[in-house]
Amino acid sequence: MRRTPAACCTILVAALSAACATSGQKQTQQADQNAPMTLSFWSTGGDDETATFQKAADLYHQKHPNVTVKVQTLSWDDAYAKLLAAATSRTGPDILSGGMTWTIQFGARGAMVDLREHGIDALKGQAQPAQWESAVSPDGSVYGVPLDMSTMTLYYRTDLLKEAGLDGPPTTWQELVDDIGKLKAAGVKKPYSQDWGNLDWIGYFNYLYQAGGAFYTPDCKPSLNTPQAERALTYWVDLYRKHGAPTATVEGSDALDTGTAMVVAGNWIAKGIDANKPKLKGKWAMAALPAGPAGPTTFIGGRAIGVTSYSKYARTGADFVRFMYSDEAIAAVADEARKRNISYIPPRPDKIVGGSTFTPEQAQVFAQAISTGKAAPGCPGWDESASDVAKQLQSAILGKSDVRTALTEAAKVMQRNAG
Amino acid sequence: MAGPLPLGSRLRRYGTSYAMLLPFLALFAAFLLWPLANSLYLSFTRFDGVNPAVFTGLENFAELAGDARFRHALGNTALYVVASVVLSTLLSLGLALAFNSASWPHRIMRTLFFLPSVTSSIALMLMWKWVLFPSEVGLANTVVHWLGGAGVPWLATPGLTVPILVLMSVWGGMGYGMVLYVAGLGSIPEEYYEAARIDGASTWQQFRHITLPLLRPVTTYVVVTGLIGAFQVFEAVYIVFRGTNNIGGVLDSALMIVPYLYDQGFTHFKLGYASAIAWVLFLIIFVLSLVNLRVGRAMKEL
Repeated sequence: MRRTPAACCTILVAALSAACATSGQKQTQQADQNAPMTLSFWSTGGDDETATFQKAADLYHQKHPNVTVKVQTLSWDDAYAKLLAAATSRTGPDILSGGMTWTIQFGARGAMVDLREHGIDALKGQAQPAQWESAVSPDGSVYGVPLDMSTMTLYYRTDLLKEAGLDGPPTTWQELVDDIGKLKAAGVKKPYSQDWGNLDWIGYFNYLYQAGGAFYTPDCKPSLNTPQAERALTYWVDLYRKHGAPTATVEGSDALDTGTAMVVAGNWIAKGIDANKPKLKGKWAMAALPAGPAGPTTFIGGRAIGVTSYSKYARTGADFVRFMYSDEAIAAVADEARKRNISYIPPRPDKIVGGSTFTPEQAQVFAQAISTGKAAPGCPGWDESASDVAKQLQSAILGKSDVRTALTEAAKVMQRNAG
Repeated sequence: MAGPLPLGSRLRRYGTSYAMLLPFLALFAAFLLWPLANSLYLSFTRFDGVNPAVFTGLENFAELAGDARFRHALGNTALYVVASVVLSTLLSLGLALAFNSASWPHRIMRTLFFLPSVTSSIALMLMWKWVLFPSEVGLANTVVHWLGGAGVPWLATPGLTVPILVLMSVWGGMGYGMVLYVAGLGSIPEEYYEAARIDGASTWQQFRHITLPLLRPVTTYVVVTGLIGAFQVFEAVYIVFRGTNNIGGVLDSALMIVPYLYDQGFTHFKLGYASAIAWVLFLIIFVLSLVNLRVGRAMKEL
């Protein structure tokens, strides 16, 4: 019996330590910004990415010999919980990077510095407008700015398309379903699948915006109850139910390798396909996603970077964040990323071709996708609603409810959480 | 008969022992009692982890009562607990009966079945994820393809998620129960069986009237600890079924109480609410364990 309270206690220990550590104090007293200092930067991602950002940090040290920035890796799996524990105890990093809306979440609770105080909003003109908008809080506070970009494209097997008599990838919704039919007729068993965001709101995002819809209106009113949203979901559901897209998520390069002709996947798989699937070399290519009735909008994600409110070096931290947008920092990160053969798209659209780690042809595709990009909604209540919205989309795909009911239910949840 | 010693004498006699207990008592108080008391307090507050907690009385518990996702998690957990505890107890007993002797083949078999219990659960769950991977990449679908079947979206089929979780739990836990049952079987005197055989009892009668009743303490232990463990299932859901934005898998079909607690506390900043969930979970396990022990005792008296 003694195990029961012990086990409950283990689960709760973080919450409990929080109780004693919370001080309610929002801004930490600043240290002398001219004395030697070491800033800690927790970077969400892999060790390779840490190494690339460390290159920029080393460059910053060369220019500011009294400042050392140490970059440490936080894995995606537990980064959020670790950052929450850090915010709670106010003893974490000076600078952090993570999911695009994380800094908004932490900032709203007083754990991040509003970077407007340090003039960072001047970077706005350099960033991708939709991504910037997604990083900014609904009240206008800038608790984080984009650190890099990610987007989605259509990866396709050139050999399989050729066998089916297709000259190139589909460029519209209609062409996509026509091509799926032709591929099936040519004996391709798996014409189409979706890697990232399969059965999830991210997957639906592209179709929604391509149909002219949106999750929220510009003034943050939930807007899934629209004909555009219905048209998008009907099309997306048909891809599964009529055209055989698999409900199980298969990683993009595995899907291509096992005979899937077209896969919607993130930019991060592009660097690894030739290395990990040598048999695919010369047999695959990328294109922007097929455009819907309202155009070719594509999801843009990425990481946000910000400065914690408990940092003793907030001003220097903010200066380092600004430095990450400089030509030289972007070049340093891109060089190291190229050496490590990992994906990197800088937060500045003008640097995608030349400043990313992709071939010029690939970079062109990403630049094209990003130029039409929209990012996750930064509206109040979205984070609480996302999993319920995904559940409603899944119920439509799995035939448990019709499209209109699913969207109505999703809109209700969003309305409730919008406060 | 001598009465209890006065405090002074007791301290003189046992003072050193009490002093040696102090480090443990300090750790016990700091890392168990104090956190427990605090979690109970937090369950009556709205606390986002960063700002000071705001006392809200029973608000969290009232919200829980109307929370459809919590009820769904509770239903899934109940189904999972019953299936995994019953199956793993029965299979543990079956394995113990099958590999009960001190012979080498039996020892090897016992070791093989026990291995998952001492392997890192994270590694095991990653292995299961690989086995159940969709397309031809996963082992399960590779076998299905060899047999001429079409690939099954194991992790994206809502009706399969709880059975898969039960399978993973039973596979990983039955070796531990088996070892306990083997020890229990070893403690039953052989004379009982000899006497029964002389009286003409069949193998089934010996099992029914000697083995099972004498294994009751082991069964109670296996069931109660299995129950506690099953209610707290976390890694399996978190590692195998978590989606990009959803911890409970497709349609929340794999959502269990502890992953839901984690989701509320550590991705939605609702630490007061998460504490309330933890206390409800504690009460459920506490009551069920009490019932189990009572039933065990009542059966002993029959």
